[in-house]
Amino acid sequence: MLHCQVVGNAVATAKHHSLDGFKMLLCQQLDAEQQPSGTPFIAIDLFGAGMHQKVFVSTDGIGARDIVHDQHSPIRMFIQGIID
Amino acid sequence: MRIGHVIGKVTMSIQEEAFRGGRWLVINPVDTEDLNSCIEQQPKLSTQSSLIVYDNIGAGEGDIIGFVEGAEATAPFDDPTPIDAISLAIFDTLKYVAPAN
Repeated sequence: MLHCQVVGNAVATAKHHSLDGFKMLLCQQLDAEQQPSGTPFIAIDLFGAGMHQKVFVSTDGIGARDIVHDQHSPIRMFIQGIID
Repeated sequence: MRIGHVIGKVTMSIQEEAFRGGRWLVINPVDTEDLNSCIEQQPKLSTQSSLIVYDNIGAGEGDIIGFVEGAEATAPFDDPTPIDAISLAIFDTLKYVAPAN
């Protein structure tokens, strides 16, 4: 689980079919001082996380496959929760 | 999924049977400062290391794609397949807004 901040979004027409219907958000990991660090990556979002909200991102492929209901999906990153 | 720029392709005449129908692309990761402009204009080469990605969604040179690395890359294949990186999406738009703190 990564502590991240939502920093943008992405739209794609040509994509793996398991991504259909899911929002793709650009997330950047936060360091111990809550500062963004590293290169942003894309995670799928089920909860409607907004811009610059802090979120937990799971890197577990098994969990991601269950969420998209496709055992042949290569998706790995998904937003697991929005931090209050 | 990480974001990368397709900078080349690889062709192989002998390869695992399961890879038939796809192509291999040379990917250079896109740096944070290039995320907003990379769709319209070619991003500069990143210092992050380039990698080879398997593609069956139809990406070509110049496209900005999302790719996944690791064991998840084998998931679309029916049988155990020796593969470590696969493309997932060809991006139409990318928006990056740096946090204001």
